Amino acid sequence: MAALTLRGVRELLKRVNFATVPRRHRYKKKWAATEPKFPAVRLALQNFDMTYSVQFGDLWPSIRVSLLSEQKYGALVNNFAAWDHVSAKLEQLSAKDFVNEAISHWELQSEGGQSAAPSPASWACSPNLRCFTFDRGDISRFPPARPGSLGVMDYYLMDAASLLPVLALGLQPGDIVLDLCAAPGGKTLALLQTGCCRNLAANDLSTSRIARLQKILHSYVPEEIRDGNQVRVTSWDGRKWGELEGDTYDRVLVDVPCTTDRHSLHEEENNIFKRSRKKERQILPVLQVQLLAAGLLATKPGGHVVYSTCSLSHLQNEYVVQGAIELLANQYSIQVQVEDLTHFRRLFMDTFCFFSSCQVGELVIPNLMANFGPMYFCKMRRLT
Amino acid sequence: MVLDVHRLVPLTWACMARQTPHLGEKRRTTASLLRKLTTASNGGVTEELSCVRSNNYVQEPECRRNLVQCLLEKQGTPVEQRSLELERVITSLLDMGFSNAHINELLSVRRGASPQQFLDIISEFILLGLNPEPVCVVLKKSPQLLKLPIMQMRKRSSYLRKLGLEEGKLKRVLYCCPEIFTMRQQDINDTVRLLKEKCLFTVQQVTKILHSCPSVLREDLGQLEYKFQYAYFRMGIKHPDIVKSEYLQYSLTKIKQRHIYLERLGRYQTPDKKGQTQIPNPLLKDILRVSEAEFLARTACTSVEEFEVFKKLLAREEEESESSTSDDKRASLDEDDDDEDDDEAEDNDEDEDDDEEEQL
Repeated sequence: MAALTLRGVRELLKRVNFATVPRRHRYKKKWAATEPKFPAVRLALQNFDMTYSVQFGDLWPSIRVSLLSEQKYGALVNNFAAWDHVSAKLEQLSAKDFVNEAISHWELQSEGGQSAAPSPASWACSPNLRCFTFDRGDISRFPPARPGSLGVMDYYLMDAASLLPVLALGLQPGDIVLDLCAAPGGKTLALLQTGCCRNLAANDLSTSRIARLQKILHSYVPEEIRDGNQVRVTSWDGRKWGELEGDTYDRVLVDVPCTTDRHSLHEEENNIFKRSRKKERQILPVLQVQLLAAGLLATKPGGHVVYSTCSLSHLQNEYVVQGAIELLANQYSIQVQVEDLTHFRRLFMDTFCFFSSCQVGELVIPNLMANFGPMYFCKMRRLT
Repeated sequence: MVLDVHRLVPLTWACMARQTPHLGEKRRTTASLLRKLTTASNGGVTEELSCVRSNNYVQEPECRRNLVQCLLEKQGTPVEQRSLELERVITSLLDMGFSNAHINELLSVRRGASPQQFLDIISEFILLGLNPEPVCVVLKKSPQLLKLPIMQMRKRSSYLRKLGLEEGKLKRVLYCCPEIFTMRQQDINDTVRLLKEKCLFTVQQVTKILHSCPSVLREDLGQLEYKFQYAYFRMGIKHPDIVKSEYLQYSLTKIKQRHIYLERLGRYQTPDKKGQTQIPNPLLKDILRVSEAEFLARTACTSVEEFEVFKKLLAREEEESESSTSDDKRASLDEDDDDEDDDEAEDNDEDEDDDEEEQL
């Protein structure tokens, strides 16, 4: 069909991305003179089609269309700013604080005398977290965050599902907390917002990403908290923490590097699905087990750990949790128990879509009505 | 009186004969007209006209005259204003096969058109092979057609015949796009040329498109071309299917909404160079022709609310990719982002098929 005009067709084909890449996403040019013939985002999608159609069955198409469409954000209120004003401002936009809604829900239930609710310790949420989202099906966007009168930013925009691991960790005032794979820093910021951290250690192997975390802390957290002994930022290998600071922490968050499913479908640059990173991707679960094991070793006996990823894959989620628990039992004779988060999940069911068939832990799956996630998290307690 | 009517009948006949220079066609149409003349009563005589007893108006001018009078009465024209002209018009219409109900309708939209003009236009439609009922519907909907200069009407008619648009095909076009008579010849030409030369449809395919998707005549040429290219390149649909499915009648918005939704669900794939897909694509009719409810239930297999949200998101995406400002106004995002390490070598692999993709 040579005679068929190609004017406009190029334009058309430019828009043909097998995952849409909206122009507003930055594209960093490197040395490539042409675009790759078989882009990594397409490889990622192929991989997901193969794996997740089996894992999720009929649920997969709905998840797929959500991953390929614009995600939904939550606005985490900065408690170091004038948070009541910020909350009011966000309410005016018709957004609602989903944490507050969930907790008042629970309070109503427990008042109703429902004895099914387990004891507080296992499901208590980390306090003081305020995060606003728009209603189900509402695709409004938040305006960008701005500095307030106290010199720090008013809120932090993040995938609202990312707050769930921090909520599940259940911080209590005076806790000594470790964020083992902290960068780029959203969850670290949330940990600080609870006001419970006597000491917070934030670590990430990548120095460039730790720099981003520092920037976030600078923009959101007042100097006196940053500069004191309260927050320590390091850039070491997380796998060494068992040796470095064994049996030290009350609460540990292990938000491991993963295939970042949603991100991998949109960003071509440095995508983990490109062929040169194939080996790295294939041994990810091994790395993840090592990191979780290190996090568990760094926990005090009786302390709690939350493991989280932003991937849908069994192999990076449940298998890793089970693998790490086994490793600790076999190699260190340390008993670790998974904590049931069913009640916790019920609190947030109105805001998020949860997958009902996880063997351990909870998984937020993206859905067009609530396009958050993916976010997997599992809470554990170190018994010995 | 009787004499008048006798004179009227051949006069009308002669008028029609003069107006149609194409003898061959004329024979056919006039033959059918003749048939109609003798069986005019089949056009639906209403019960009110109880004076009609016989089937053959020609043979019973008395009856016909009464019929004409009845119709005139129905028009509310006082006796003094009933002109011979109007009677002639009504008689001619009866000859052409219009029923009384039709004639009432037609007369009600006549407005300022002169009787001759009125008849000329109507007969032109009849000669194009339209039945009386469709003519009524069209003129009721678009009475402005009665104002067309008859020469233009005839020129356009012959052009439409050349394009193969007659009878039933023309009916559909007229219902949807009556401007096909009033619009500029050049505009029709342009559309036809676009379909033939740029989109490479055959002449028969062009005819089929015009009569099944008359709205293409109204469409901006650039949009039309883009719509075609979207089907051909983006969806991988070939010419015969584009024509058969009447794809071009649907709005680009609807096409994109449904297609991109299916694509992102994983239920539609653009065929590769060899025209193959890994999954069987749904039939085009199950995508576009069905109602939204059926589309969602049977083809997409998702809930209604998900599609509603998707449509909004897509509209916003389209809007933003069109506008030149592409600033991302959101603040820092809590997503594990890729390493900004510039020392990493660029991927050089050029393979197109990777069958060894392992699960992770």
